[in-house]
Amino acid sequence: MTQLLWNGLFVGSFYALVALGYTMVYGIIRLLNFAHGDLYMLGAFVGFGVLSVAGGLATGLGFVALLIVMLIAMLVTGTAGLLLERVAYRPLRGAPRLSVLITAVGASFALEYGMRLVAGPNPEVYPVRLAGDPVNLLGARITIQQASLIVIAVLLMAGLQWLVMGTETGRAMRAISQDPTAALYMGINVDAVIARTFFIGSALAGAAGVMAGGYYGKIDFLMGFVIGLKAFTAAVIGGIGNVKGAMLGGLTLGLLESIGTHWIGGQWRDVFAFTFLIIFLTLRPTGILGERVTERV
Amino acid sequence: MTSYLTRRLSRVALVGTAAVAAMLLSACGNGLASGGGEKSDDGPIVLGMLTPLSGSSSAIGPYMKNGAQLAVDELNAKGGVNGRKLELKVEDEACDAKSATAGANKLVTAGVKVSVGGYCSGATLPTLPIFEKAGVPMLIPAANSNELVAQKKKNVFLINGTGVQQSDSALKFMKKVGATKVALMDDNTSYSKDIADTTAKLLTGSPALAGRESVTAGESDYSANVNAILKGQPDFIYWTGYYQEGGLIIRQLRQAGYTGKIMVADGSVDQKLVDIAGPEAAAGVFATMTQTPETIQGAEKWIADYTSKFGAAPGPYSTQAYDAVRVAAEAVTKAGSTDGDAVIKALEGIDGFQLFSGPLKFTPEHTLSSGGFQILVVENGKIVLEDTLQ
Repeated sequence: MTQLLWNGLFVGSFYALVALGYTMVYGIIRLLNFAHGDLYMLGAFVGFGVLSVAGGLATGLGFVALLIVMLIAMLVTGTAGLLLERVAYRPLRGAPRLSVLITAVGASFALEYGMRLVAGPNPEVYPVRLAGDPVNLLGARITIQQASLIVIAVLLMAGLQWLVMGTETGRAMRAISQDPTAALYMGINVDAVIARTFFIGSALAGAAGVMAGGYYGKIDFLMGFVIGLKAFTAAVIGGIGNVKGAMLGGLTLGLLESIGTHWIGGQWRDVFAFTFLIIFLTLRPTGILGERVTERV
Repeated sequence: MTSYLTRRLSRVALVGTAAVAAMLLSACGNGLASGGGEKSDDGPIVLGMLTPLSGSSSAIGPYMKNGAQLAVDELNAKGGVNGRKLELKVEDEACDAKSATAGANKLVTAGVKVSVGGYCSGATLPTLPIFEKAGVPMLIPAANSNELVAQKKKNVFLINGTGVQQSDSALKFMKKVGATKVALMDDNTSYSKDIADTTAKLLTGSPALAGRESVTAGESDYSANVNAILKGQPDFIYWTGYYQEGGLIIRQLRQAGYTGKIMVADGSVDQKLVDIAGPEAAAGVFATMTQTPETIQGAEKWIADYTSKFGAAPGPYSTQAYDAVRVAAEAVTKAGSTDGDAVIKALEGIDGFQLFSGPLKFTPEHTLSSGGFQILVVENGKIVLEDTLQ
């Protein structure tokens, strides 16, 4: 049973990291950024590229190398997120919401098949792998590497929470999410804050991509698709637009999948997890921590 | 006036048809099997091949294409078939039903006479009715789900061993190594589920079935599935899906502390399986596989020919694709024409034609009478022959 919970938490922390980007962007400009999962893929490939160039140097350093690579990948995916916002979303900010949604789907395809052109259709294998001897903890097999990945994920999430709640940028973000026009009148540089939001959300997805590459080892140009859907689901479970909710939602979905697989088998996992989701959302449409939003005129 | 003209025209058409028919008769000699739809009898005979050139299995495409091209070139050097040259047309199947049907339609429009392609069963399945409607016989070199022959289409022939034959070989090997509790894992695709289903039916006495699990392809974390499959405490796990998930599952099984034997089916036989799992985790993993060029005795000259021609060594399904073209040529020669029905009759009549997997004779279901599966093993990070099961 502890093993089940552990597996669920581990997968869930990946979902949560990606879900954060979804929820931040939605919270601030009400856009479902479907390209977000592909930024996770981009992060994994940037990490792969850097590690391959660094070669033997990186293999010797192991875990430390992955940390450095993760920071580089976060910068690159963050910048990619900035570009995406500038090129694909900002020109459409006044447009009907459906148009922006379709742009997002287009951006997703562009990233996926652009990467396929660059890196080829075959899966790649990370040159640095995280595999350690497992230790037994309360009946669950846990490796130090798994534990450190979770610690990194928690640190990143705590950092984000501090950024949103404790800094001036965070206050500006929250102000824009409540009322962009009023925020503009109060002297907030709305464009700059939205760009920053995209940078942070994308960087978190990039970090998750490198962590997945280092831990699981296999990356391919479509790897962002499934996790993108899962993270979106997690964001909705948690209450989309709510940062803490995304973290909770990710962990909940991870646990649901793990327990569903154990009880009724892998082929029924998604049926189990999503039936639960439907029932839950029927009872509580705003998600775990979502607030009831009243339309203001 | 109109009726007169129509009658005139139809008479002209009739005379024309008669003339063409006469020409065909004289050209074919016996004339019995000559087809109605042929436009020209002196151009090349076009063979069509659907194979993955992109997507998850794109590594296989060139192996199959080159194997077939080698056979085409050899036959053309000997003067072709019935005095006509052979020509190979290749379309991308991408291991995906949409691409495969588009490719099949393209091939049919291009006037292929025999199809010698098909790698992923799930992608090959929807192409069957397209080729059937066009009257094109199919010699499928790699795809081998039982579903392909379950519809009893008369134009479908399998050159690769079938899922049933693969399951038989798997069971033989499980007994040989003394497995007692066998667990099966598949990825819910047509090909993979098929092998798992037929194997499950065989696991009645000893070894017994100790659990089944289906995973969702395209994910990274299978620890929940691994956990579930280890509940039954198996001492032998058989993975019937493709190598991408296979590599991850092997690694995660070992990480979860499983020390028993692992075997994979032919879709997972790829060097990338070892890379993804990592050489330590993959060491000692078995595989059921049809013959590959490296495991066939006496194929050294063939491998040398292939390597010198294409500048790369042959891989999985190069030999089957090569054989598919040769069988197609043999059938067309025997039929004396490229008419679909005549070629199918000729294929059914083939007895003892020498293939890499042994003498060819199709069963009434249009599958090989002997599958030729053998067991491979991962040793020092490479996949090598373990047991021919002879």
